[in-house]
Amino acid sequence: MSGSNNVWSRNRERLRLFSEVFAQCADEAAAYGKCVAATTTGRQELKKDLCAREFQALKTCFTHAAKKRTK
Amino acid sequence: MNIRVGLRLLQTSASSSGSWIWSSWCRSLRPGLRSGPSRGMSGSGRGTMNVFNREMKRKQKSWAASLPDSHQYDYLRDEVRGHRSPGRVLFVFQDSVERLFMTDKAHRPTEIQTHRVLADEEFLPFRENTFDLVLSSLTLHWTNDLPGALRQIHQVLKPDGVFVGAMVGAETLFELRCSLQLAEMEREGGFSPHVSPYTTVTDLGNLLGQAGFSMLTVDIDEVQVYYPGIMEVMTDLQGMAESSCAWNRKSLLHRDSILAAAAVYQEMYGSNTGTVPASFHILYMIGWKPHESQAKPAKRGSATVSFGDLSKINQPSNKDPS
Repeated sequence: MSGSNNVWSRNRERLRLFSEVFAQCADEAAAYGKCVAATTTGRQELKKDLCAREFQALKTCFTHAAKKRTK
Repeated sequence: MNIRVGLRLLQTSASSSGSWIWSSWCRSLRPGLRSGPSRGMSGSGRGTMNVFNREMKRKQKSWAASLPDSHQYDYLRDEVRGHRSPGRVLFVFQDSVERLFMTDKAHRPTEIQTHRVLADEEFLPFRENTFDLVLSSLTLHWTNDLPGALRQIHQVLKPDGVFVGAMVGAETLFELRCSLQLAEMEREGGFSPHVSPYTTVTDLGNLLGQAGFSMLTVDIDEVQVYYPGIMEVMTDLQGMAESSCAWNRKSLLHRDSILAAAAVYQEMYGSNTGTVPASFHILYMIGWKPHESQAKPAKRGSATVSFGDLSKINQPSNKDPS
């Protein structure tokens, strides 16, 4: 990879921790997932920000968990 | 199957051979190759599709091969090569093989006299009618001109030679594709392709027929691998050198989309243990170069028995029609 080695290896480290942090937000993830999956079976078409509320909940949970982990 | 004494094999497979050797050979070999076998190939019917950035694929393979722990990503390749054909086929022929031309990093040493050749699947640097057997394991799904590649393989085979191949196709990684598609649709309002296009079973059969192979066998095998989550799927694909190199791929994946895709993947396809499956549909194909000794369909009107006689086969001896 070109460029500074530090940036790349730091990012790779963050990607590796993704799963750990993600596992702590299983409920919010399930809620968001259900909202999106419902569009594949129901009559409602998938539009931008259709599940924005669930996603915001997921994102806040995720960033909190990530901060707690790096502390 | 006609096993000859003194077989010559060509095997192309999904790994690169040593990073620095690869790149320097590649540059010097390519210009010469174009004037070789492909001269007779071009003409009407040759597709000019350019879907994949082959240069990028070479770099990805070199990078993956240079990883210190590259062996841990070999499970899919071992599944195809080690336990099923074409790897098995190689062992069957081991006693009678005279020479083997390999265009990949050898995974196990063989006693066969081996020549390592650096070759591009679309520009095979071999004369016509050279090989008894051509093996291809998990590389054809990155060729731009699949009909052309198959035609070249057909050319380098001797009559009554056989091509045995395995390639990734059909609905491979559909879980990953759908999760990314839905997540990007919801988060960004549109989506771009991240998983490369694959050949279906029927298309592959047609392509092999068009290339001139006879006595075709095409089979599909579904391998499901379970991962902890979407990130592991993508990291492993990268380690296998199977990252997308299509020209139309977006080079950026927003972290929001990754998060959303992870949630969708888990919800739609996750198992109750929390792991997610990724499907690899491997297409196995066998095709023969036509030869007079091969069985042909019988001529019309040459039948010696009639279908009406079928009802007489199971008649018991006391002549009781039942």
